[in-house]
Amino acid sequence: MHKVFLHVDMDAFFAAVEQRDRPELLGKPVVVGAPPDQRGVVSAASYEAREYGIHSAMPSREAGERCPHAVFLPVDGKRYKAASRAIFHIFERFTPLIEPLSIDEAFLDVTGSRALFGSGPEIAAKIRARIKNELTLTASVGVAHNKFLAKLASDLEKPDGLTVVPSDPEEIRAFLAPLGISRIWGVGKVTQRNLEEIGITTIGQIQNASARQLNSVFGHTSAHIIALANGEDSREIQTSRQEKSISREHTFKHDCTKIARLEKTLCGLVEDVGSQLRSLERYASIGQLKLRWQGFKTITRRTQITPACCDDFTLRDIALALFRKEKITKPVRLIGFAVSGLVDERPSEQLNLFASGPERGDKRENVSNAVDRIRDKFGNDAIGGGRGIIEEEDES
Amino acid sequence: MKLKVTKSAILEGLQLVQNVVSARSTLPILGNVCLTVEKDSLALTGTDLEVSVRCALDAKSTKAGGTTLPARRLLSIMREMPEENIEIEIDEKDVATVKCGASFFKIMGLSEEEFPPIPKFAGKYNYTMEQATLKNMLKRTAYAASSDETRYVLNGVYLSFKGKKLTMVATDGRRLALAENEMDFPKEAEVDIIVPTKAVNQLMHALSDEGQVKIHAQENQVAFEFDGVLVVSKVIDGTYPNYKQVIPSQCEERVTIEREWLLTALKRVSLLTTDRSSSVKLAFGKNRLELTTNTPDVGEARETLTIKFSGKEVAVAFNPEYVMDPLRNLECDEVYIELIDSLSPGVIKCDSPFLYVLMPMRVS
Repeated sequence: MHKVFLHVDMDAFFAAVEQRDRPELLGKPVVVGAPPDQRGVVSAASYEAREYGIHSAMPSREAGERCPHAVFLPVDGKRYKAASRAIFHIFERFTPLIEPLSIDEAFLDVTGSRALFGSGPEIAAKIRARIKNELTLTASVGVAHNKFLAKLASDLEKPDGLTVVPSDPEEIRAFLAPLGISRIWGVGKVTQRNLEEIGITTIGQIQNASARQLNSVFGHTSAHIIALANGEDSREIQTSRQEKSISREHTFKHDCTKIARLEKTLCGLVEDVGSQLRSLERYASIGQLKLRWQGFKTITRRTQITPACCDDFTLRDIALALFRKEKITKPVRLIGFAVSGLVDERPSEQLNLFASGPERGDKRENVSNAVDRIRDKFGNDAIGGGRGIIEEEDES
Repeated sequence: MKLKVTKSAILEGLQLVQNVVSARSTLPILGNVCLTVEKDSLALTGTDLEVSVRCALDAKSTKAGGTTLPARRLLSIMREMPEENIEIEIDEKDVATVKCGASFFKIMGLSEEEFPPIPKFAGKYNYTMEQATLKNMLKRTAYAASSDETRYVLNGVYLSFKGKKLTMVATDGRRLALAENEMDFPKEAEVDIIVPTKAVNQLMHALSDEGQVKIHAQENQVAFEFDGVLVVSKVIDGTYPNYKQVIPSQCEERVTIEREWLLTALKRVSLLTTDRSSSVKLAFGKNRLELTTNTPDVGEARETLTIKFSGKEVAVAFNPEYVMDPLRNLECDEVYIELIDSLSPGVIKCDSPFLYVLMPMRVS
């Protein structure tokens, strides 16, 4: 029996939430992200704005040049999160097998839901209707018997579209054949160029290409690509995704050279990373610092954490040690901190003889957990390290 | 200068000295060994500016003088000499001519004047003890010293000449080894110094089991003199941590275990530890000690020893290397293990004045 997967993708999500909440913006080009006179990028653009060639990740300055009369709005994460929760609540009425891909996108396995709610396309239509009626937002949905096809399909009729991929293998091949090769997962710009060089521009041509031809471009992944080109993908829904790393970064409005300010920012990022790490009840064994200089040159520096830890104090020491090894000769545009090598078990820890040694890990962990609980209850600013009390500098 | 020396004598001397001579030094002279000839002896000196080793050996000379020659090259040449009798002659430009049987070598040296002098010692801090005792005390403690350069005060062995005894301590902050020996010296000669690990290793290598060693200490230097060998070292400048406060004053449980037995059992169970996860659990129950290691994705090992124990059950995890270190360096048949609980320091003792304090590992 074939499985039935839906891929639900909200249309211009951030911009759509803004337009819904502020009807005067309906029909106007709306850009969510940094203002056009400041550095930063577009997070989302309404379809009206997209007509001017504006897309997400484009520098806001460029977006402002392309469409000077666009309405620029700051990112209002809280409202988007609330809308996202409401959307996922709708999904949950139809199936428990939900794999969130981002704030506005998810895979749903509705194979077992059909007895209750009708066929795949019927469920897709119901979900779209619920989202429209209850939330006044639109979603594009792809229906297929695997994840790859569902995701590909949801993108075909955007916005506000419903695309059903046939289930017969031959029909699937025919469905895919005219599509561009960049629709295949794993085909990026470089691979696309390489394929075009040997005359391949459509998925259909991959279906008919010889294995040798494809090996020359893809190497050992060619079998996987051929499977996708024929619409084959056997991955299941992953309801709980195991985080491989946790990272936070901050872009300065104005490139920063002040060590104290950089360190303070870094410590803030470390606390965010630490609190997420603890909320997942995991321990990190690798710490990584990221610095982007003025002019976009980026460096990363990493170090092993032994024993693996999850408390803010150890993470902060590690982040600062990495940071202090770097000479800040140029202004810093972005600073970031990440942890990886995450493990579930509390690592065993060698205790110290002398009180002057580092504090015992369990004590540090307890304090960090207590801080988390205080912040949960009274807000982020309720408690903080002494480092935070550095005189605020003029940011202009 | 001109001298005759035997191959075995100069080889022995060079091997002793070359340990402190650095192969890659920014100062070329530090890659050389200094040769000083007086009447019937040849003195070889090597230094890395922190530790210097000088050793005197028998030689026949017709002309006194001194020079320096590349240490490693000289050693490898001497090692390959075809006969026992070697003749060395050095001209005023520090070029050495080495003759042995049918072999002939010419080696470019550097002037003796460029060689850093060994400091002179004078003063009240002079001690004499048996070489075997010093060697044994170093052996029982030195392994516990820290190699973490950021904790430089711990990068050596602490020697305290106080209260009619020499107390020797080494620690890396996780475990601590202490050895003591009674000694006779005047009250005004009481002093404590930290001898860097490098000098300690030299001493353990060079000290023999017979004869005496003279120790001279001053402001920032210490010298050890024995069997024609002189080891001079800078002392580590800093305050040694108050080690007395970490030695538990009492214990809950005390067990006697055969040293060799415990060591081999630990060796076996620690085969299943990894760098990332290295702990062995010691569980003391009625008349038995169970050693276990459990490494995720690797496996587990268990060893049960029959012991005399009737106290309350206690389990504690240690880094197995840290338990094996003292066991390897003691000679006694039995050791005593004293424990309080799973998060308090454990103590290993033996019948001689020795003590080892070890912090456990906190495991989940």
